[in-house]
Amino acid sequence: MYRDLRDFLAKLEQEGQLVRIKDEILPEPAIREIGRASVDLPNGPAVLIENIKGHPGKKVALNVHGSWANIALMMGLDKNTPVKEQFFNFLDKWDKYPGETKFIDKDKAPCHEVVIKDNINIVEMLPMFRINKWDSGMFFSKASVVTKDPDDADNFDTQNVGTYRMQVMGKDLVGIQALGFHDIARHITHAEEVNKPLPIAVCLGVDPVLTFMASTPINYNLSEYKYAAAINGIPMELTKCVTCDLDVPACAEYVLEGEIIPRVRVPEGPFGEFPGSYSGTRLQSQFRVKCITHRKNPIFENLFMGRPWTEIDYLMGLNTCVPLYKQMKETMPEIVAVNAMYQHGLTAIVSTGNRFGGYAKSVAFRLASTPHGISYCKNIILVGPDVDPFNLEQVMWSLSARVRPAKDVIVIPNTPGMPLDPTSEPAGMGAKFIIDATEPTAPDVVLRDTRLIDNPDSKGYEKIIADLQKAVAK
Amino acid sequence: MKCVRCLNDTAAKFAEAPDKSGAWEMYICSKCNFSWRNTEEDDVIKPKLRDPNFQLSNEEIANLQILVPVPPLRK
Repeated sequence: MYRDLRDFLAKLEQEGQLVRIKDEILPEPAIREIGRASVDLPNGPAVLIENIKGHPGKKVALNVHGSWANIALMMGLDKNTPVKEQFFNFLDKWDKYPGETKFIDKDKAPCHEVVIKDNINIVEMLPMFRINKWDSGMFFSKASVVTKDPDDADNFDTQNVGTYRMQVMGKDLVGIQALGFHDIARHITHAEEVNKPLPIAVCLGVDPVLTFMASTPINYNLSEYKYAAAINGIPMELTKCVTCDLDVPACAEYVLEGEIIPRVRVPEGPFGEFPGSYSGTRLQSQFRVKCITHRKNPIFENLFMGRPWTEIDYLMGLNTCVPLYKQMKETMPEIVAVNAMYQHGLTAIVSTGNRFGGYAKSVAFRLASTPHGISYCKNIILVGPDVDPFNLEQVMWSLSARVRPAKDVIVIPNTPGMPLDPTSEPAGMGAKFIIDATEPTAPDVVLRDTRLIDNPDSKGYEKIIADLQKAVAK
Repeated sequence: MKCVRCLNDTAAKFAEAPDKSGAWEMYICSKCNFSWRNTEEDDVIKPKLRDPNFQLSNEEIANLQILVPVPPLRK
């Protein structure tokens, strides 16, 4: 669908989902205020900031994925597509893996239009800004970071493209948070075991589906590039880095090429993180940038992350739901849909049939034993197959009309927890809170005889009224 | 130059507005890696006005947790 970020921004503008701010601003605090405002608006638009003091000609793109309208457009859908339909659309595209990749000659790749190897100074070359007030510096929050396993360097599929927070620590020095369960940590460990620097490429402003896949938890030996191509429906155009053998998106706005310094850890953080609170300061890895390449008139895309909901919640929403659905559906075909969009799945809602009495509670145990669910899925709500888990009004109705508190609410103490969850105490420990809001099935005691109101067949009139509403708005 | 977060004399200028307009300058601390721009809000860049919860003492710096330990060298 979209070859690069520019194609997508053009589409967003055409659909009324991109605005431009042309007034001159200082980076702080204006950019974070713009990030907060754009995501708080209904159907929040992307924002292109075009006049930053001290950085003539440089642009910042914010909130590119920051509304369901923008996510729908990224997937080639109408911007008003309901979230449940977006979920099933993504599921269909997910099964098209692997998509094609296509290599573009290094000299012809748009990302290499400008190549800088001398006198690198990141914050002078890119219009960076402090995302949250108490962050320890200027962070990259939306980069697609590429590394290879030095023990398996010829394997295209284990080349990793992931999103990690990175803090500028000097003219050409950057700190990176690589947690133990991140794929990149495996690459860093293998390089450090032989005391060798690890090549790294930080790609900024790539096509929106690649950004989306870089923040999706996929298996280690599957390629984010091939997933992005499958979902985009067009080949992923790649090129080689200027200074190393890594493959990077040929149409990226910027690529920072460098090397992770082996066996070094430096103070990094705090940083305002996805649960809506600051992380601590810890010792993390660091890399040195050796070369910056960019397109002419480059656009610096970054992400404002504040107290939820902000752009990160849209960006990590459906791609948290789909892998969980896939894993559970394999053994529990009664599952209809999974909504695990709340803080990366700390709260999750599963719509499922009750094969027999108590079955829904087993669905909760299954969710709590998926690789992601073990530590993330803390609050688990089960609803029936007639309830759309993405429609919170319907979920609340289900809680109101179907939950028998004494039988349907369970707390399992002292389970694994997610360390960044502020309620995880000690960090890494947690509990599971299960609410079964499905309709009881035999041999469980069924609810007293209740006749539900049937919905009339309203789809035809829904379209007629929506079209009339659009016409009135014009 | 004094770092506004750890208060050690380990900070220095490392960047300025690239259009040479003097619109802003940036500084970084080589001990705690905190960086700031001279045009930010006073309660971010003036030590006395900063939230003490986000200051960092030398003792804290000496005892920072390592999230991913350096592995042993292969033999």
